[in-house]
Amino acid sequence: MTSASVPAAAAARRPAGRGYGFVAGLVAVAAIGSALPLLVGSALFLTLMTQAAINAILATGVGFLVRQNGSVSFGHAAFFGIAAYVVALTLKHAVMPAELAAIIAILLPTVLAFALGLVIVRIVGVAFSMLTLAVAQALYELLLKWRELANGDDGMAIAFPARVFGVDMATFQQPHSMFLICWLILMAVILGLWLLARSRFGTLTLAIRENEERARFIGYTTVVPRALIYAVSAAVAALGGLLFVLYNGFVSPGTLHWSLSGEALIMAIIGGPRLVWGPALGAVIFFFIKNAAGDFTDHWPAVIGTVLILVTVLMPRGVGGMLVRLAGRVGGRRSS
Amino acid sequence: MIAPGWAIEGVGLTRRFGGFAALDGVSIAVPPGEIRGLIGPNGAGKSTLMDVLSGRAQSWSGTVRLGGVDISRLTAVERRRAGLARSFQRTNIFPDLGIGEQIRLAAATAERDNSEEVMAELGLAALADRRAADVSYGDQRRLDLALALVGRPRVLLLDEPAAGLSMSESLTLAGILRDLAGRWGVTVLLVEHDMDVIFSICSRVTVLHLGKILADGTPDEIRRVPEVVTAYLGSTVE
Repeated sequence: MTSASVPAAAAARRPAGRGYGFVAGLVAVAAIGSALPLLVGSALFLTLMTQAAINAILATGVGFLVRQNGSVSFGHAAFFGIAAYVVALTLKHAVMPAELAAIIAILLPTVLAFALGLVIVRIVGVAFSMLTLAVAQALYELLLKWRELANGDDGMAIAFPARVFGVDMATFQQPHSMFLICWLILMAVILGLWLLARSRFGTLTLAIRENEERARFIGYTTVVPRALIYAVSAAVAALGGLLFVLYNGFVSPGTLHWSLSGEALIMAIIGGPRLVWGPALGAVIFFFIKNAAGDFTDHWPAVIGTVLILVTVLMPRGVGGMLVRLAGRVGGRRSS
Repeated sequence: MIAPGWAIEGVGLTRRFGGFAALDGVSIAVPPGEIRGLIGPNGAGKSTLMDVLSGRAQSWSGTVRLGGVDISRLTAVERRRAGLARSFQRTNIFPDLGIGEQIRLAAATAERDNSEEVMAELGLAALADRRAADVSYGDQRRLDLALALVGRPRVLLLDEPAAGLSMSESLTLAGILRDLAGRWGVTVLLVEHDMDVIFSICSRVTVLHLGKILADGTPDEIRRVPEVVTAYLGSTVE
């Protein structure tokens, strides 16, 4: 990558109004979500929303990879699960304080993803997806079979200290407070990724996604930026894994299983991966469908599958893309 | 033997595909500031030569020098940063990005950002905020040229920049190219099938045929070489 500075004209030409609108909208959504625990007393509903917010963070990571690199990962649950297991194993063996374990739980998967990315982002299309699946399933099998390390399929209950980062552990494990924490972190993640996507680095990765050869011939190396995006998306997934383990106090190999990666991908597709916030919207929709359909049938995945097919056919840019389109039409009518 | 002081030179360039030699010991040298035409029938090796010079080709032999410096082992990215830019036979842009956005992105790797100047010179300033996929083919070809020209490279390799353009668009593009190359001192190696473009702006022309150089000279000299007329020009040039 070049160290050249951002041309002043580039910043000047950006449609600033659209940026303010996005931030204002995000603040409004953050505020509405933050009011939910005050407005809704149901612990079951807030549990559902907390799970949705955690999975939304995972899906946001998966979607960001699709958005910036044009790559589909079938293995992001690995980073989610590694983060959870890092906390579980370090606390089990008391090798470091919980706060440091939490930081390493994010950093380790990020560094691993960057190193892995330097190799696998050179491969495109289905082969890339299969490689992510293979790596994730290998890690899943490792944790499943290595009982001495991770207690196999029985998983690991985690003995957290009474306070983590100065916060009472009960705050992380009550749905009323944990939903608020997860919701605000989700909003912060979306804002951070949105800013990254608008930066020159974000434009460069979009250019590489569009036409990698041309990007090389205007003077950019293409592997490192793609690997960095892969690492960022892994960091987001790892953050989800950390919140998962703080909330549940338990981890099992299922957190690395391909089915969780698949669910995150489905959430991203339903919400619209070309939008930074689309996968989070998809996660909320996914959990509501799962919950509503689950009341009537054990075959709720069939309902999710039907919704996925309908969205793919009728809304190729996802529900979020359709909402943006509708908003554009309404805005166009008003201004005309 | 090629004398020193060339803007770009290739010495003994050979590239084989199995038993077929797409380039067979080709040596070419272009002095600074010259617009050199490179012509020849399909399969003559023109695009292969561009690929070898620009660093796109794999497994070739010979030496490539830029301003006298051996760049044979440099990657395409390193050659671009050293001042060697190129365009492609097919329009090679970033369709989903804004026109201004991608030109500024290309300018960021150069020593100086002349993106606004390039947009103005190529008539793209008014389209700066438009998505590249949404503009006409002619505008996309000019964008392709802008991506190569931004940063004022020392040497520009152009592979059929006028392909698909109408005669008037081609001649307009040729005029812009001649003007900019003259004012900015850019050396150009131009592959083009449109002989009106070649003979209107090139001071010398090199003819490739079956991976070898068939002839080299001024446009008037090339028009009179019987082998060139037989192999390529035929009756299209009087």
